[in-house]
Amino acid sequence: MVRGMTAVDAERLQRDLEAIVGPRRVSFRQVDLDTYSRDMWPRLLLRYREDGPNNGLQRPHAVVWPEHVREVVAVVKLARSMGLPIVPYGGGSGVCGGAVPVLGGITIDMKRMQQLRSVHSDELICDVDAGLNGERFERELARRGYTFGHFPSSIYCSTVGGWLATRAAGQLSTKYGKVEDRVAGLTVVTGRGEVIETDGPNRALRGPNWTQLIVGSEGTLGIITSARLRVAPAPQLRVFRGYEVDSVAAGVEAIRRMLQKGLRPAVIRLYDEMDTLINSFSHHDPTVIEPPPIGPVPPIATGALPAWPTPSPKEDESTFQRLIAFAKGRTSRKVAMNAALGKSPLVNKVFGAVAEKIARRGCRMVIGLEGARIRTEIEAALCFHELETAGARDMGEDPGWAWFKHRYHVSYRMSPMFRDGAFVDTMEVASSWERLGDMYHSVREAIGKHAVVMAHFSHAYADGCSIYFTFAGTAPDARQAERVYDAIWRDGMDATTRVGGTISHHHGVGLLKAPYMTGEHREAMAIFEAAKTALDPDGVMNPGKMGLRPRGANAR
Amino acid sequence: MTLVRELVLAVGYEHVEELDQNHYRVTPGSAAEVAEVIRRAGQFKAAVHPIGAGGRPLRSTEPERPRVFLATKRLDQILQLDETSLLVHAQAGITGLELERILSLRGLSIGDYPPVVLTSSLGGIIAVRTPGKSSARHGFFEEAVAGVSAVLADGRTVHTRVAPRRSTGPDLARALCGSEGTIGFITSVVLRLHNKPEARLVAAYRLPTMEAAVSAVYLALREEAAPSGMRIYDADEARLHFDGLQLPVGNVLLCAGTAGPTDLAACDRDLLTSAVIAEGGTTADESLADLWWRRLHAGEPTPGPSPSLQVMATPSKLRAVYRAVEASARTHGAVFRAHISRFDADGAVEFFTFEPPTNELITAAEQAAERAGGWLLGSRAAKLDPYLRALRAAVDPNQIMNPGTLG
Repeated sequence: MVRGMTAVDAERLQRDLEAIVGPRRVSFRQVDLDTYSRDMWPRLLLRYREDGPNNGLQRPHAVVWPEHVREVVAVVKLARSMGLPIVPYGGGSGVCGGAVPVLGGITIDMKRMQQLRSVHSDELICDVDAGLNGERFERELARRGYTFGHFPSSIYCSTVGGWLATRAAGQLSTKYGKVEDRVAGLTVVTGRGEVIETDGPNRALRGPNWTQLIVGSEGTLGIITSARLRVAPAPQLRVFRGYEVDSVAAGVEAIRRMLQKGLRPAVIRLYDEMDTLINSFSHHDPTVIEPPPIGPVPPIATGALPAWPTPSPKEDESTFQRLIAFAKGRTSRKVAMNAALGKSPLVNKVFGAVAEKIARRGCRMVIGLEGARIRTEIEAALCFHELETAGARDMGEDPGWAWFKHRYHVSYRMSPMFRDGAFVDTMEVASSWERLGDMYHSVREAIGKHAVVMAHFSHAYADGCSIYFTFAGTAPDARQAERVYDAIWRDGMDATTRVGGTISHHHGVGLLKAPYMTGEHREAMAIFEAAKTALDPDGVMNPGKMGLRPRGANAR
Repeated sequence: MTLVRELVLAVGYEHVEELDQNHYRVTPGSAAEVAEVIRRAGQFKAAVHPIGAGGRPLRSTEPERPRVFLATKRLDQILQLDETSLLVHAQAGITGLELERILSLRGLSIGDYPPVVLTSSLGGIIAVRTPGKSSARHGFFEEAVAGVSAVLADGRTVHTRVAPRRSTGPDLARALCGSEGTIGFITSVVLRLHNKPEARLVAAYRLPTMEAAVSAVYLALREEAAPSGMRIYDADEARLHFDGLQLPVGNVLLCAGTAGPTDLAACDRDLLTSAVIAEGGTTADESLADLWWRRLHAGEPTPGPSPSLQVMATPSKLRAVYRAVEASARTHGAVFRAHISRFDADGAVEFFTFEPPTNELITAAEQAAERAGGWLLGSRAAKLDPYLRALRAAVDPNQIMNPGTLG
């Protein structure tokens, strides 16, 4: 529909938007439209790196910054009357293209609606605007003696509304739950341009759970303008510990047993051999003192990716020489990295073997607990005992605290990789414990055909666990890189669905995973489609996303 | 063909019972039969009303039409038990008690929820959203639902996919939970289970006032105690329930159970004890709590009539609601007793008994409770009705799925 726009419509759009929010909170400037044409989806970053601003991406027709629910309502009504799409925008930190205006339209940036309105201490709930930045939210709660307990690595650049829209997870999700576990009610401007409030003070109301229907809908049903969220008293105590286990399987089993006993650490992370290795080189980790067989590799300042181990002489000499040189900073990073990533199956295999050999101690685990003093102390003792019973070796507190200190860094380590011509992305999938082993191997294999891959297990539940695959690849040019990138996702998603896992644990769907939504939900998509019809009959809300059928003007 | 003939073809002669002119009770034996019944009922635009363990539903006020009352009685099988992931896939007609009996042999359990969860059919308990299906230890029963299979109005069967958590759009299982058979007829449920706890402890306390007891409970919860159950009795209720137990006027009895790894169960009990002492209470005879727990979970009868009124209130409103209802009972000159139970993060349910329970008093008490910030059971979010109607129309254009329910 509205890829181009008639001059009359453009004029009307400007006039009406300025009437709603005033001339200062709406923009039609190219630089703003450029900025809001993407989020942090790596595929778009590739495109940007290669083509700059002339990348052929669709731009929004306008960007608005409302400050009140009634302004959001008015903008949605205007869009509806003009048949223009609405794209809600929070921090822009999404990694699946969920905020990309594929059909143009009006992008509503929620960041000016950013008040923590109240904290009800008796009920342990708070009312907060959707546009509030995560780190500020947490800081304001901390000032009052509470925590929301949601710490994604994007916390400095994501918003409360964005978390809710995607069902985000924080690093301490094992204790506090994912964001959908912490929401008591929502205020939403629906695609009909009406304000609705879901649930409220309790779960006493009959009828389907509207909150859980709207949470995770990524702006396709409406715009979340504020939320009632559960808070917890700020932790009085924090305990961290590092462990090492012989293998991924042993680590997984230890975690499962611990959680199924009813123990809830705040965080429990298990790194596979490759991830353990790379982690140990990238952190200035005090526990890594024992030198690997052929001399230590100095850690590099840019972080987790990529740092490579020294090879044993029998391995592929030339690749490794270049990698070492790279890790030691002696040669152009770009040359070394491309050399390594271009041979991903080999590197995966060799590094898998080398990783196991060098890091003979096995897989690294990090466990942390926080909360009320007495209960946390007791639960920590029980957790540690459980891990030790399962054969995990205690590495002391330092690896745990080292993780805690660096926990937000991962998101910021990717840009040097992109600068150097490679790409990095993460695939976070989840399944029940029974299928977890299958999923780990089949997804690892699927990605490993195309790229270097490593994995950690970072969000555990009594009934299952997520796996966070990180992969890095390269290609001679951007078009080919996109093809490799797409193949990785296609194979990875297929592998996940085949073993009965879910294609996304906490990053959401957006554009990236939209083609796999039917495989994920099959016939149950009918219920999502029905909700779409009910809340957004004209299909103005974030069209083109999540595998929903086109509607209204967008169907043409 | 007639509707009855279609129904007989779907499930067999012996499972169709004529209740009234054009009203049939049908008892399918599999999800496939449910789909057949609903598809065939749809051809006649016959209404499909689910019946769980509770028997026949209330007559609705909507106009006369052919009706099929679809009973889940024969859908009582466990389809799969995944002991690695602690998940059970069970049909909708199995009751919590039956499920628990089977799980118990394998050292597993549905978990610590109020007894209402055990006596209902699995489909019934998740199809209707009410408060009080939760405990501080295991949270809300709905959150134990990992997946739902349901038949839609056109006879299609949907299975929401099972994962510990997902980030792939709305929680479609949770849309079916609470929809009271209006979006789909629930045929089976995947439920998260728990290992049987290493230890179970109970404790009883006496506190000077209802207010102090409520404060003690939330003080302990704030310290992250996660008891498996708690109940506060006022003095009159305690006397009736515990064979003439005499408490000083105004005092209350608090019974609590904790469970889990032994150290944590003890920790939770001790946290509660400290909170009680901080609020001016003392420990009481533990056998009282034992008896309370046996009544809840081992089927021992509870004396006294069933409560005249139930009100849900959030933590900050519990005290005000209790006093408001008490005051309205006093002005009507009625005998008044109460207990508060089913505590969780969202609040608790207050159970009031009046003697005599006149309609006039109950109406006055309901109004008083609402004024004080309480929520009557069965309240609905009527403001969302237009959206629910639109959602229903999209999946059920002929309005056959439990019409007359939920607006």
